[in-house]
Amino acid sequence: MTPISPDGEARPAARPRVTAVPRAGLLAAAGPRLAAVLLGAACVAWTATPLLHSGLAQTALVVSIIAVTAGALRLAVADIPQPEDNFMLPAYLRAWLDILALLRTIAWEETAVVAILWLEVQHHLRGWHTALLGAGLVGYLIVTHIAESGADPGPVFRRQWKLLAVGACLLAVGAGFALVPAAAPGAGAALLRVLAAIAVVAAAVLVLPG
Amino acid sequence: MALADPAAGAPGDPADRADRGDHPNLGASSQVAAEEAVVSWRPSRHARRLLTLAAASLLLAVITRNPALAGVAGPPLLLLGAGRVNAGRYGARQQGAGRDSGGAISSSAPAPVGISIGLTATRMYEGEPAAVDVAVADDTDDLRWSFEPGRGIEPGSATAVNGRAARFTFAVPRWGKRGLGSVTLTLHDRWHLFEGRVQLTLPSVDCYPSPAVQRTEVVLSKLPNRLGEHRARVPGDGTEFMGVREFVPGDRQRAINWPATTRRGRLQVNTFAAERSQDVVLLVDATSDVGEPGASALDLALRGAAGAARAYLAARDRAGVITYQWGGTHWLAPSLGRRQLYRIIDVLLRSDTGFARGSTFSRLPRAALPPGALVVAFSPLLTGRFVEALRDMRERGFSLIVVDVLNTAPPPRPTFADNAARRIWQLEQQAIRFSLRELGVPVVAWDGRTPLDLPLAPYTRRPLVTRR
Repeated sequence: MTPISPDGEARPAARPRVTAVPRAGLLAAAGPRLAAVLLGAACVAWTATPLLHSGLAQTALVVSIIAVTAGALRLAVADIPQPEDNFMLPAYLRAWLDILALLRTIAWEETAVVAILWLEVQHHLRGWHTALLGAGLVGYLIVTHIAESGADPGPVFRRQWKLLAVGACLLAVGAGFALVPAAAPGAGAALLRVLAAIAVVAAAVLVLPG
Repeated sequence: MALADPAAGAPGDPADRADRGDHPNLGASSQVAAEEAVVSWRPSRHARRLLTLAAASLLLAVITRNPALAGVAGPPLLLLGAGRVNAGRYGARQQGAGRDSGGAISSSAPAPVGISIGLTATRMYEGEPAAVDVAVADDTDDLRWSFEPGRGIEPGSATAVNGRAARFTFAVPRWGKRGLGSVTLTLHDRWHLFEGRVQLTLPSVDCYPSPAVQRTEVVLSKLPNRLGEHRARVPGDGTEFMGVREFVPGDRQRAINWPATTRRGRLQVNTFAAERSQDVVLLVDATSDVGEPGASALDLALRGAAGAARAYLAARDRAGVITYQWGGTHWLAPSLGRRQLYRIIDVLLRSDTGFARGSTFSRLPRAALPPGALVVAFSPLLTGRFVEALRDMRERGFSLIVVDVLNTAPPPRPTFADNAARRIWQLEQQAIRFSLRELGVPVVAWDGRTPLDLPLAPYTRRPLVTRR
């Protein structure tokens, strides 16, 4: 059929348009999502070992597992569009749409981060362990954002690598403060070390970006 | 949003679709809208997560007196600080838009961005792929387009794409006027800590019913005295041989049949059949829509009517349409040409509304239903008023043929009462069809899958005799 309009008007001249296509293939889309899931699972596993059997620790572990899993599911179904309305839909479809809405509404990553940190503090003081957990959590959040925004990981990490390197140093400083033997026994000395670590972090944040 | 060009394109022929394959090259689009959209910047979800990590670790560090947790807050705070500083630089790059007095991106000062929307076709047949192109005139580092399809729109590609321009393909599986949905543009700053969102409502498209295949036509035995392509029963100036008669003064010499002249000893001339056209009125019953969506009685009626319109118009007949709905009718007087096909389909699309405020069927003007026209009705014959209207038309002398598009029945149930009711309903349907046949109205059943030529074959092989 000739491409003319029903009114008999000539079709306007077609103009070339640059079109963007999704990044190469399935792997490009699935890679960051899989990485986010693996990083989240690794953070949970890293924090949970050795297993504690106290009520608070177990609750934090369950919450963190649920949150990481739900976050992974949210990323997996991110491309499924939400219909304009669910009027007159069958019950199973409405239930599926409710699940999708639940996955997309709740801040699963924030919940997971808080639960993992809470699980970490249930353990005894372990400086380097916590520092590595911090690195893992930052990586988890960055990769999650890359997965959900579809951004190219290369430029994102290239822009941030200096700050991430300084951040790694701050993690090491925090771990070092935790390992410094206390000048005097008691809660006051521990608080002093915390405040010192916070001061170092604050100084770095204030100085470095400028 | 200002429409720049309402006539972006017409649908392609469904017969050509098979040649193009499943992923055809849809070609360039025509711009249908251009807009300066306002972007409101706000902290991104990523920034909120980093803030949560920093705040939670600092709080827990103080509560539990664990300095290592204070170190955990270091990287997210660094990223947030860098993002804040960078936001100022980015805001300064934007010319007077989206930044506050300090130069940082602020949600209180929205920034406009130029967005254009194009469509490869604003009219398409059922299931035919089309594409919407979106582009933004902005040098922002990271842009992401998300396509939220409207009701009845099936996306054919990824619904989220990064880049300054994007193309989303889609198909409309069922006829009707469909809103395409919306497109959301998300702009990220360099550190992905601030994001701006713009949501654009996409224009509507007209999805035409996929025309049924019909290559033959039902032709009346008595055709109006108008030049056409159908062989009439009267002699005329056509090309088809009709017989031989004796020469009379005035006959053309080139018509002399010399072998017959030699045999009979007197001049004999060939006579030819006249070629005439007919008026065809397609009558669509839109009062009942039973059956599965996509293959319901109304779907079949519209596809059949579109196919018949195409076939009769291709045969140089004048075709018109009447849609019969509750409360009134829409009609289009018979006419010729390709544009008439689109006009007919546009009238058919109005059947989507269900309740029409149009003319009363019994008071249709002569132009809508010319005397001597062939009326092809597409109906499931479930509405008593429509059946009465058919009887009335037949009694007024119109030549009718009914294409029965009812392809569903009440499901069998275990109880005796249900089965009895089902049986009574079937008998009633048979009685309706029998009564129409008794009046001289042929009723043919069509399942929507086979070409229309098959059920109409008994009436396309020879002219349909016009009885009054």
